[in-house]
Amino acid sequence: MNSRISFRILLAPALIASVAACSGTDADPPEEAVVEGEATEAGDVSAVEARQENYEAIGDAFKAIRGQLEGDSPDFALIQTSAEEIGAKMEANRTLFPEGTGVGSGADTEALDVIWEDMGGFTDALDNNIAAATALAEAGGAADLAAVQEGVKNLGATCKACHDKYRLDDD
Amino acid sequence: MRAGKVWDLPVRLTHWSFPVLIPAMWLTAENSQWGLHKQLGHVLLFVLTFRIIWGFLGTRTARFASFVRGPMAIISYLRGTSDFNGVGHSPLAALSVIVLLGAMLVQVSLGLFAGDPFDGATGPLNDLVGVMTADRITDIHEIGIYVIGGLVALHLLAIFYYDAIKWSGLVGPMISGRKMNVAPEAEIEPASLLRLITSLAIAAALSLWVWNGAPPL
Repeated sequence: MNSRISFRILLAPALIASVAACSGTDADPPEEAVVEGEATEAGDVSAVEARQENYEAIGDAFKAIRGQLEGDSPDFALIQTSAEEIGAKMEANRTLFPEGTGVGSGADTEALDVIWEDMGGFTDALDNNIAAATALAEAGGAADLAAVQEGVKNLGATCKACHDKYRLDDD
Repeated sequence: MRAGKVWDLPVRLTHWSFPVLIPAMWLTAENSQWGLHKQLGHVLLFVLTFRIIWGFLGTRTARFASFVRGPMAIISYLRGTSDFNGVGHSPLAALSVIVLLGAMLVQVSLGLFAGDPFDGATGPLNDLVGVMTADRITDIHEIGIYVIGGLVALHLLAIFYYDAIKWSGLVGPMISGRKMNVAPEAEIEPASLLRLITSLAIAAALSLWVWNGAPPL
C-alpha cells in the first residue's frame, strides 16, 4: 500500500523531468542535465531497493554467524565468509544513499533524513561497521573462538549504533 | 415467544474483538508499526487466554465441554440428523471455534519469539530461543497470517451459508446475545461475576507476564 503511493509521488518528478528533457535543445545541455539529476535523486527507487536487498543479506549473514556460535563446533570458514560478505555489502551500500531517498522523500524506506544532514557521521558509522566486519572475518580465518565472540559483539554494536541514529525507530 | 438468552456478554465481546484485532495486526505488520503490533498482539493474547479460561468457567454455551463434539456428531450434523437444538455452537461451529482460537493462539505465540534484536523489533520472548530458531519462527509467523486469513474466509462462507441461506440465525444472536424461539430451559444462566473476574485476572496476569519477557525465564 505504502510503496504504491510513494511510487506515484516518485513518478511525478520523473515525468516532469522527462518532459523537460524532451523540450530541451542542444543549446542548453547543462540545464537538461540538472533536471535529470534532480529526477534521479528524488525518484531513485532502484537505489533504495538495492541497499535494502544488501541489508537483508547482511542481516541473514549476521544471523548465520550468531547461529554458529550457538552450537558446540562453530564453522569458522562460514563465519569468515559471512563476515566478508557483510563488509562487501556495506561497502556497496556506501554509494546507494543518493540525496532525496530518505523518509522525507516519500520513498518506502526507513532511512532518516538526518543521514544527509550528517553525512560525515553516517560515513563514519559505515566505516566502523566495515572495520568490525573485517576484524570478525580475520578472527574467523584464525579460528579464534574468543576473538570471534568479541568480534560478533563489536559488529552487532556498530549495526545498532547506526540504526539508533539513522534508521526510523518503529519499535 | 420471547427471545431467549443464548450468548453471554464476554463471549460476544471476545468474538467481535477478533474482526477488529486481526486486520489491525495485519495492517500494523504491513506498515512496520512494530510498537503498535506488539501492543495489540498482547491485547490479542489477553483476549485469547481469557476466552479459553472462560471456556471452562463461563456460562453453558461458552464452555467447551458443552459444544465440542466428536467427528460422528459433526457428520450427523452435516447430514441433518443431529440432535443439536440450535442454542450454542453447532457441532460444526465448534470445529470453527477450536480451529480459529487454536490458529490465533499459535500465531500470537510464534510472534512472541519472532524478530532479530539487531534488525528492528522483537517479541518479548525472542531471547529465550536461539537466533536461527527465532529466524525460522519469524518465517512461519509471516506465513501464519495467510492461514488465518483462509480460515476466516471459510468461517465467513459457512456463516453466510447457514445464516443467509438456511436462516439459522447466527449473526444477530452473536450481537444481541438473544435468539428467537428458544425454550426457557435452553437459555443460559447469568454469568457469575466472581468467575468473570477470576478469568480476567488470570488472562491479564499471563499477558503482563509475557509482555515483561516472562521473568525469571
